[in-house]
Amino acid sequence: MEDKEERIETSLVAIVIDATPAKKFASQPLDGSSMMNRIFDSLIAFGNAHLMQASHNKLAIIACNSKSTKFLYPSMDGNSRSYQNRPGQYDMFAKVDSDVRHGLGELILNDLTDNDSTKSDSLLGGAMARALCYIHRVQRELSLSHQLKPRVLVVSGSCDSALQYMTFMNVFFTAQKENVVIDCCMMDTDSGLLQQGCDITGGQYLHIPSVAGLLEYLLWVFLPSPSCRSKIVLPPPTKVDYRAACFCHHKLVDIGWVCSVCLSIFCKFSIMCTTCNTEFKLNRPAIVPAKSKKRARIE
Amino acid sequence: MADEDETKEYRWESGYEKTWEAIKEDDDGLLESNVADLVARAKRKRAALKATGAIQLGMMRHLFVVVDASACMFLQDLKPTRFLCVLKLLEVFVHEFFDLNPISQLGILTTKMKRSEQITVLAGNQKKHIEALQQLKDLSCEGEPSLQNSLERAMNGLKNMPAHSSREILVLFGSLTTCDPGDIQKTIKALKDNNIRVSIIGLAAEVRICREIAKKTGGTYNVLIDDHHLKELILSQVQPPAVAGSIEASLVKMGFPGGTPSVNDGTSDSSADHAPAYCLCHIDSETSSLMGPNGYNCPQCGSRYCELPVECKQCGLTLVSAPHLARSYHHLFPIKPFIERAQVPDTTHCFACAKLFVEAETNVYECENCHQIVCLDCDLFIRETLHTCPGCASDPVTAQMKTN
Repeated sequence: MEDKEERIETSLVAIVIDATPAKKFASQPLDGSSMMNRIFDSLIAFGNAHLMQASHNKLAIIACNSKSTKFLYPSMDGNSRSYQNRPGQYDMFAKVDSDVRHGLGELILNDLTDNDSTKSDSLLGGAMARALCYIHRVQRELSLSHQLKPRVLVVSGSCDSALQYMTFMNVFFTAQKENVVIDCCMMDTDSGLLQQGCDITGGQYLHIPSVAGLLEYLLWVFLPSPSCRSKIVLPPPTKVDYRAACFCHHKLVDIGWVCSVCLSIFCKFSIMCTTCNTEFKLNRPAIVPAKSKKRARIE
Repeated sequence: MADEDETKEYRWESGYEKTWEAIKEDDDGLLESNVADLVARAKRKRAALKATGAIQLGMMRHLFVVVDASACMFLQDLKPTRFLCVLKLLEVFVHEFFDLNPISQLGILTTKMKRSEQITVLAGNQKKHIEALQQLKDLSCEGEPSLQNSLERAMNGLKNMPAHSSREILVLFGSLTTCDPGDIQKTIKALKDNNIRVSIIGLAAEVRICREIAKKTGGTYNVLIDDHHLKELILSQVQPPAVAGSIEASLVKMGFPGGTPSVNDGTSDSSADHAPAYCLCHIDSETSSLMGPNGYNCPQCGSRYCELPVECKQCGLTLVSAPHLARSYHHLFPIKPFIERAQVPDTTHCFACAKLFVEAETNVYECENCHQIVCLDCDLFIRETLHTCPGCASDPVTAQMKTN
């Protein structure tokens, strides 16, 4: 038989879209359609471009906002919605297009009740956790002749949420263990947490200067799979700030004090740990009464 | 062991255990679903046992691994020889240990010819240990092992460690005898006084003194059944153990290098931080020290290191990065086990992986906090690897971190 088994490489991209409406984008019209529409169009085009690369490539799209997370594609609705495809269009592209638009519509409509949605944090951690579960399931279901190369692309415009730190870190370590590469495309602000995640998993982090060119950045930087990225000249990796934030002030510290029980970080030495309520013993040098003993013996 | 046998009959006298009756065929005459069900149940049982949560765990661990290198390790009941099988599994163990306990330290000892030898000192560097284990493959196993000598040597190494750390010894013992210079009861007493926990994995048969040592110091003693069981036993030592109860808590000073100056932060980034410099981790090696602009500077003394975590040779400060500490956080906030329920017609898909629930899946799992339904595979994945419930993370109320 053959010397080595050729396994078909199936590339799975899970796109995690942060659909938290940034007011800046929602109201900015550009060439007739709003910026949000352009962003979603670009993402659908990117998803279809990935599917076009090879027939067994797979795609998953998950969206989130500050209220919930939702699987856009493959859709969990169950009922087969009829979709119209243009003559000559590949069926799957039409399905992706229709599912994503319908799902995003539902997601955004659900959020209309809360007017302060831009103040609360986006549930990006939950969406990434669901993406990883989906990747894990596809890996199990795939036949042995296929080898899965999964990656997650996070497209977001929101800042870091300090309260979701644990979720993010768990997601990053799981991705590292499962050999999932996390790429990140940031639109408006920088996110230190996602930078760390891309560094931990070996992915690409990019902060886009202009959102109008989103599709171009996606196709040039994020479409090639990680195995061929070494041959392409990509934006250089950013130096990631790995300092920890102290639990009391949330400021980054160079030298910190770590509780040995719960591993919480403090910027100043204190008697008690606020997280686990253990009291700390101060390190005092041992008092040795040796000299007095020796004197007693001599006398 | 002998006294227990008098009360019950010998194994050949008791009735047959008809273990084959546990497996039944389903309607189509297939065994697969039944076997898969049994395997899944066993997995869930084991995972549920691990989820305790309320026990204090020893995070900073100082562990000595003692490998028996006596003549009996050349026996071939574990392929290719006991010694090589153990070394191979130890490489996996070292990798997993530093993965799960990044701020811990490990040391390796061997015992043969009635003495014990130190292969690597207590260090936090994974590569050195794995290299040492690979070089150990050429070692010839001869002589008698000495349990007391190896325990004494490990104890000398652990005595000076700070009081807040969890001190442990793991002995991989393949022999049925030991040749000791003195009274091992004194050693056991000293181990207990120093709060050192000794766990022993026997490769041959149960030895009474090993059982006693493990019991008195609060460790575990297991004898393996086959090589898969050995792998399981060794990997079970990777999880941080529950604290013995008398470990002092203290605040440990640690440095977090690798910061870049950000706009809102006032720290200055002098050019010295990124200038090429000799790193202190390779300064002792014969080949020229690694020189490069990438690396981490100790915030206290400024010495350069290639990798983290490391203990600064110049000033003694432990240098870690925030993800290293975050790796251990999931032990502190474990997820409650999911409730097993019969399938509900409302939820057609698993919340985590969007899989359609089929008729064959009788049980689905629900999270207590967010009430989302997941399938069995996602339940195992969440429990063993992810350590976060996707449902709780997708709900704006429960997505907040439990501290603060």
